[in-house]
Amino acid sequence: MQTENNSIEDQALQSLLQDYPAPEPAAGFYEQALTRATHEGSRRQRNRWLMTGFGSAVAAGIALWFVGGFFFATPEATLPEAAIPGITMTLEEPRTVNLVFASASALESAKLTVSLPDGVELAGFPGQREISWQTSLNEGKNLLPLRLIAVSPMGGEVLARLEHDNRDRTFRLRIDVT
Amino acid sequence: MSSDRHNDRLAFERLVRPHFDRLYRLAWRLAGQKSQAEDLFQELLIKAYGKLDELVAIDEPGSWLARVMYNLFIDERRRFARQRLHTVEEGSMPGDGIAGLSGDEDPVRDNERRERYEALDSALAQLSEEHRIVVLLHDTEGYKLKEIQELTGTPVGTIKSRLHRARARLKEILVQNGTIL
Repeated sequence: MQTENNSIEDQALQSLLQDYPAPEPAAGFYEQALTRATHEGSRRQRNRWLMTGFGSAVAAGIALWFVGGFFFATPEATLPEAAIPGITMTLEEPRTVNLVFASASALESAKLTVSLPDGVELAGFPGQREISWQTSLNEGKNLLPLRLIAVSPMGGEVLARLEHDNRDRTFRLRIDVT
Repeated sequence: MSSDRHNDRLAFERLVRPHFDRLYRLAWRLAGQKSQAEDLFQELLIKAYGKLDELVAIDEPGSWLARVMYNLFIDERRRFARQRLHTVEEGSMPGDGIAGLSGDEDPVRDNERRERYEALDSALAQLSEEHRIVVLLHDTEGYKLKEIQELTGTPVGTIKSRLHRARARLKEILVQNGTIL
């Protein structure tokens, strides 16, 4: 009887798994992906040659090293406009921006909040203007890649706010869109 | 667009397009979220296009593309783990596939079906990543053990063991919550 029950349950599980749905891609997704691949793939190949010349190990596609210190002052929200680092993005073309947080010691339970202007989205969080992470930092440099997509030509400022133990720092990144 | 670039794109498209649906589903099964699946698919195409010369010489581009996708997925996971920076949202947004489930015009049956898949979704989220991927590739997508071995580089014995444990755990959860009677 037990064996019979097991067999029925196994069959029910198999049936459920076999029919477990996967979504269809959005209309036009394949075409868009092909176009981006042929465009960005060519550019990465060119970048690779350039970087080989410089002997750099930095990966292609990295837009910016945002070298901020968690307990240091650069680049903070209070900086004058001209001192804010910026990048130029192409409309609808994802681009990875790396934030580097340098911490003097390991930090547990820090909170990171990324605020986005209207025309910029974080890949994976369409339509969200503010995304928060609970995070831990190692002693030394901690890398956070943000894959950004400009969905309108407006651009604006991305703010990354790191909070820990009643202290916080906000970093700014200007986005221009072409 | 220059003639060379146009020809490259045509050659590339001819090689990869027949595998799009299978690769998209693989991306979905690996990532578990639509946005991440689409990113993974996109990254694969960018990488593959950069290796077009290599790709044209390959007998089974489908298997090669699947392996590259799997490696991209694993690299991304490792990079993520090394950073010790993680999102609280990770793993808490299941159901993209279920939300897109088409109805069969019987609301009661639709609802039951949706509830069963939500329960399965939740049960799968309780498995380790290795177990979840193996059971989805084998039992849902129909990959053979040998194909999973080639894709993941995991020995067949380990795959079998993961499959057995994954099914047992899923059954336990789904019997307990009444999804499987």
